[in-house]
Amino acid sequence: MSLFQFELRKLLLNKKNLVLLLCLFTLYSLVGLTSTMFLIGGNDSYRAYEELAAACEGPFDSEKAAEAEEIYQEISTRYGTDSRMIARSVKDQPEIILAVNYHAYTERVEEYWNGTPPESVEEPYGIALLQAKIAEMESQGKQDTADCRELSASLQRLEELGEPEFANTLLWENLFNNWGEHMMQFLLFVPLAFVIAPVFAVERSSGMDNLILSSRNGRHRIVTAKLLSVLVASTVVGVLYLAATFMFGFLPHGSFHGWNAAIQSIPTYARSMFQWKAWHLAAAGAVWLIFTGAVYSLIICFISSRMKSQMGTVGVSLAILFVNVGLAAMGDTVTQRLGVLVDFGLTNVTLIKEVFGGYKVFYVFGMNVSYPVMAIPVLASIAAVAVFGTYRGQKSRTVA
Amino acid sequence: MELQFENIIKNYKGKKILKGISLTMGTGVYGLLGPNGAGKTTMIRILADVLRPTKGSVLYDGKDIHAVGDEYRAKIGYLPQDVSFYSDFTGRDYLEYSATLKGMEKARTKKRIEELAHSVGLSDDLNRKCAVYSGGMQRRLGIAQALLDDPEILILDEPTSGLDPYERIKFRNIISAYAKDRLVLLSTHIVSDVEQIAAHIMMMEYGVIQHIHTGEEYIHMMEGRVWLVEMSAEQLVSYQNRAVISNVRAKDGRMEVRIIEETMPSGDAVQAIPTLEDAYLYLFNYLPEKSRR
Repeated sequence: MSLFQFELRKLLLNKKNLVLLLCLFTLYSLVGLTSTMFLIGGNDSYRAYEELAAACEGPFDSEKAAEAEEIYQEISTRYGTDSRMIARSVKDQPEIILAVNYHAYTERVEEYWNGTPPESVEEPYGIALLQAKIAEMESQGKQDTADCRELSASLQRLEELGEPEFANTLLWENLFNNWGEHMMQFLLFVPLAFVIAPVFAVERSSGMDNLILSSRNGRHRIVTAKLLSVLVASTVVGVLYLAATFMFGFLPHGSFHGWNAAIQSIPTYARSMFQWKAWHLAAAGAVWLIFTGAVYSLIICFISSRMKSQMGTVGVSLAILFVNVGLAAMGDTVTQRLGVLVDFGLTNVTLIKEVFGGYKVFYVFGMNVSYPVMAIPVLASIAAVAVFGTYRGQKSRTVA
Repeated sequence: MELQFENIIKNYKGKKILKGISLTMGTGVYGLLGPNGAGKTTMIRILADVLRPTKGSVLYDGKDIHAVGDEYRAKIGYLPQDVSFYSDFTGRDYLEYSATLKGMEKARTKKRIEELAHSVGLSDDLNRKCAVYSGGMQRRLGIAQALLDDPEILILDEPTSGLDPYERIKFRNIISAYAKDRLVLLSTHIVSDVEQIAAHIMMMEYGVIQHIHTGEEYIHMMEGRVWLVEMSAEQLVSYQNRAVISNVRAKDGRMEVRIIEETMPSGDAVQAIPTLEDAYLYLFNYLPEKSRR
């Protein structure tokens, strides 16, 4: 076996971790299954919804909007305004779920044209609002500023995308919730910390350091082998999560309906600047989660190379994750002050709804750069520092 | 081939572990004797390049071992004091993993593992998990690991701890046969381990190499200093607090006491043939109160 194969076996392909992977797959499958079950009633209800929604798919229709509004007003007095709560309460009444969804779609169309007051100062949205802001800046002679250029780019992109259309993307919306909400960070990133933590720490706690560090390949090649095994392990855990939530998200209803709908039809992605279909987002989201999982794993790997105990490594890795979650959950005042730290912190950068669902543009070196394009070099830099630090650490590592 | 310690100093947590060790070693077996805490393991670890000295350097054929790096480590075989294993590795896995770390070719690895497993008596146990090995088997596996790549420099830290007398003799034979044209450094506090096979014996205490001689020189040094005295048990109790006693044997209701002293301890004392163990006790002045420290 090569050094890489040995390291992979130590990290992942051993009895203990294979059992852990099986448990994780079961857990992820349950998450996929239960989230779909809460979405709408049985298979019959979904079929009925699919038929009803087919009649509404396409551009905005004011008559359908008025009908939906009437039902929504009635139902919201009974169940409140949270569409997910309403759907759970009336999951066997597809016509009501459709009315609630069409009502939400109507609001998105309104937002597309006029924004939703009060708008965030940092991220204005809506054709009319953007036009007004640009005009205001131009009247103040700020047309050449980065802020004005960002707004103009946002407006241009919004016009290119056009008014959102209605589509039945119920199952895809559920999938992207599973992939892009904070729950994913706990289900995917927390297990990663436990799987990756032993990569170096186990050598220290077991005393195998003596053998490794006195060997020809124990200072450089072993790091390459360990880093590769870390990437494979994080990819395997990521793929398990993605595959299980995908399979068990669609399997109960046996339908992929909405796969070709524009992502702007999905409420969370209504403001996305990408002219993508649902399946494009699924592919990009899967790649993104694997990529960010790999970066987080490299950070854990670096921590492991500096720590003596596995649990210490897990603790520090989770602390980093939770501090980032905490920072991102702070109010606007704090997040605006921390700016880049929150924008490119582990929380925002790993959530596909933040990366692909926003319309944030960065003005860098005279160019307008979208959030994911900006995030790639930032994450790559973090990964490079972790890799460099790991190599350097092993080179100078000694046994006490 | 020559290994040179140049004024090696090692401090750890404010304590001086090694206090300026300078010595040169060529081919042959070197024994490193000393009590627990003398600094033997620290010296061994520095030589194995798993620990860096605070000051000074180790030179391999005139070049600093850190500068030589991978090429130096390719020439050493190292058996640490505590051999550790991954819980799910078999003996064969452990040796294959070690061979991969040493950069050995696959074809040679397989052949070498079989040879060494036979030498250390583990042929029938190679496919069992290391975790269920006895202490002696784990030690033998560690010895096989150290010998795997036929290293030019073999560094063994307490290699015989946990071995039974037969395994100990077998180990000595393996090392003796192996040592030709190579450097073997064997650190231990068991005198008999090095007595038979080491051409040069270093006595270390308090972080300093106090003496380097051959076994014969040590024994010669002790001539006229080892005595056999017969005494009662009551006399022994009062005697043992003021003399270095290397052995006591009950004989016909009295005690035959082996005493190390510069002068004849009593009128009926008889000179005995000295051993390396006597020299060890004499040089480290092993009075009972010192050994209790």
